[in-house]
Amino acid sequence: MGIEEKVPDGILTTTLDSVINWGRANSTWPLLFGLACCAMEMIATGTARHDIARYGSELFRASPRQADLMIVSGRVSNKMAPVIKRIYDQMLAPKWVIAMGICASAGGPFNNYAIIQGVDKIIPVDVYVPGCPPRPESLLYAMDMLRAKQGRETIGAGRKVEEPLAVEEIMPLGV
Amino acid sequence: MPLDVAPVFRSYETQRTLNPPGIPALAPLPEGETEDLQRIAGRFRDDFLAAGLHHGNQVVYARPEQLKALATFLRDDSQLQFETLIDVTGVDRSELPLDGGARFQTIYQFRSYSRNQHLTVVTDCRSEAEGNGTSPHVDSLTSIYRGAEWPEREVFDLMGIRFDGHPDPRRILMPKNWPNHPLQKQAPLGGEEVPFTFTWDDPEFDTLGTQILAAESAAPDLPPGMSRQNMVINMGPHHPSTHGVLRLVVELDGERVVSIDPDLGFLHSGFEKTGENKRYKDFVYYTDRMDYLSSMSNNLGYCLTVEQMLGLEIPERAQVIRVIMAEMQRIASHLFWLATHVLDVSGTGMSLLMYATRERERILDLFEMACGARLTVSYIRIGGVWQDLPDAFVAELKDFLRLMPQKISEYEAMVTEAPLWQERLKGVGFVSAEDALAMGLTGPMLRGSGVDWDLRRDRPYSGYEGYTFEVPTRDSGDCYGRFTLRLEEMRQSVRILEQAVDNLPSGLYKSNNRKVALPPRAELDVSMEALIHHFKLMTEGFHVEPGFFYHGIESSKGELGFFIYSDGSAKPYRLHVRGPSFNNLYAIDHISRGEMLSDVVTNIGSIDIVLGEVDR
Repeated sequence: MGIEEKVPDGILTTTLDSVINWGRANSTWPLLFGLACCAMEMIATGTARHDIARYGSELFRASPRQADLMIVSGRVSNKMAPVIKRIYDQMLAPKWVIAMGICASAGGPFNNYAIIQGVDKIIPVDVYVPGCPPRPESLLYAMDMLRAKQGRETIGAGRKVEEPLAVEEIMPLGV
Repeated sequence: MPLDVAPVFRSYETQRTLNPPGIPALAPLPEGETEDLQRIAGRFRDDFLAAGLHHGNQVVYARPEQLKALATFLRDDSQLQFETLIDVTGVDRSELPLDGGARFQTIYQFRSYSRNQHLTVVTDCRSEAEGNGTSPHVDSLTSIYRGAEWPEREVFDLMGIRFDGHPDPRRILMPKNWPNHPLQKQAPLGGEEVPFTFTWDDPEFDTLGTQILAAESAAPDLPPGMSRQNMVINMGPHHPSTHGVLRLVVELDGERVVSIDPDLGFLHSGFEKTGENKRYKDFVYYTDRMDYLSSMSNNLGYCLTVEQMLGLEIPERAQVIRVIMAEMQRIASHLFWLATHVLDVSGTGMSLLMYATRERERILDLFEMACGARLTVSYIRIGGVWQDLPDAFVAELKDFLRLMPQKISEYEAMVTEAPLWQERLKGVGFVSAEDALAMGLTGPMLRGSGVDWDLRRDRPYSGYEGYTFEVPTRDSGDCYGRFTLRLEEMRQSVRILEQAVDNLPSGLYKSNNRKVALPPRAELDVSMEALIHHFKLMTEGFHVEPGFFYHGIESSKGELGFFIYSDGSAKPYRLHVRGPSFNNLYAIDHISRGEMLSDVVTNIGSIDIVLGEVDR
């Protein structure tokens, strides 16, 4: 049935979107960029026990030009905010952002003059990870969520799918 | 049977303004005298205001005109020999009844290592009319103690006190266009309202994002003293080898470093201001997040300070548990230092990162057993520890202690004798003992230069006097010396842990003073008093007698000091943290001059900084 019957062995057909998303979701390189306590858990995620290499994300790149994913791991101060914005702007599309921990997500315990109440005030965030700091397992779960999201993107002029995902699609019932 | 006990009423307050504590403007007058204070009194006679002991610390109230003369005398007098200025801080007393006293005071902590003495000096700031208000100022001590440079800049930045004669009076933590000095009492805490609404039209959302300072696009200034004849490059705040968000402006002549100007504050989180708006017990959770590699030590330092102000006795078992946790944390912190140091210096040495974090994970597992958290533990609380150790803990810890010494030898076998490693570390980042003392360095930075000082041994706290351990020192003063020193410190920590775990007494794990420590959960089900105490502690907290106190502990990075100025309410009136990383990082310019750019990275690793603590 279909074109697969006509072509020789070893040839599969797919959509370009699926192939590209497959590649992107399995080699998301994070930016080597730590802010505060959460960065320690991010490093722990990268080391042997938790082994982020299983996700193809062990290659933390120091240059924003080579990174796909910014893990905002910690509190964002007023002084740091323009720097984060600039680093984000320097990253090449497609790019994703994980707000790791409650400080990056919403300011956390630091509701004061120095800390910006959530990095989403300055850059768009794809996945929020609760926790103070989140355990490495939480970050890996966030990577899972990100992969689900990456799998739904299209290459057309870098557009992202507009319609929101149903909750069941992101988090299957029973999890 | 008639009740023959009169009920004890204790006044609680929720807001400071409702019930101003009537403390004298000079805070409590110190009492008693010591040899040192007599010596100072003999030299200055009537020129200073008061001297004595307060919470066991020697305190001198000095007139601002006498400050420099006093500091010179403290340093140079043969009987005093206060070699180091440990800390400088300021307090804005505008919410206290001043009775004509000065609004701002600066507070200095002097330390004599050779004589094992500590001295606190308090001085009023002179005020001068400037614009609409007044500008407090006081003489700078940088010409006498070089290490005062950064602490004084910090006091100026956060408190607005100017230091006359300071060589570099810039802001240090806040952005240069920041509108106020955040620790002044009239400066608001800031932050945002949390909107409890679902419609975006709600005016509650209007406050969102308003606290973000408008970013001005302007070329950064050339730091003073740097020349454009040389190459000026920027390291950080996003740089893999700066251990966080540290920015170094490095002036280079070819590959050689001419000078370095560190730019701090990228992780400034307002800990001190937050602490002044929290009850005493609620700040424990924040201390975790300062030096997030030594959360236990931070908990311990803060709790000890508050407990000593309260005069609280800690049960034996709680003290031993605290020592166990603090020493495990020291090993974990040193392991992480080792991992990142090797990674920085070699550029590719991922293997040691994997090995060292393997052991660190075991320590985190033990923390998790004790308190459920890996990193931000908040396990040590005021009055003791949060809960008792689980049954399996001791066996697991013993297993770890059997394993650890051979692992340390394994790391040593990997790098210590390696020629490339020695090439990169030996003779690099040299700091002499005199410079280390003058710059106020502590911890391995001080011991690596041959100064034999460890607060655990020399000013013991939490029962450290009962353990046998050595304080390793190195005379070389270079990165290699500090490297071997930290490895040896890990071995000594294992030794302390072995003694502690073998002599773990049974008994209470926290104080049974119900006015300070929460009653155990089980008690709430059977005792009305326990319920009341729980409610009172949770809603109102406890009060600390007016006064101030500085207490330092030996954290993995150096002397971690907490300074608390209490006005008698349930919140600290002024809370200051002396982060060892902050004072140690000051040395980066001194030790890197004349070396190669790549040695700067070695030096950062060797100082062992955590930016959460540098910027606070």
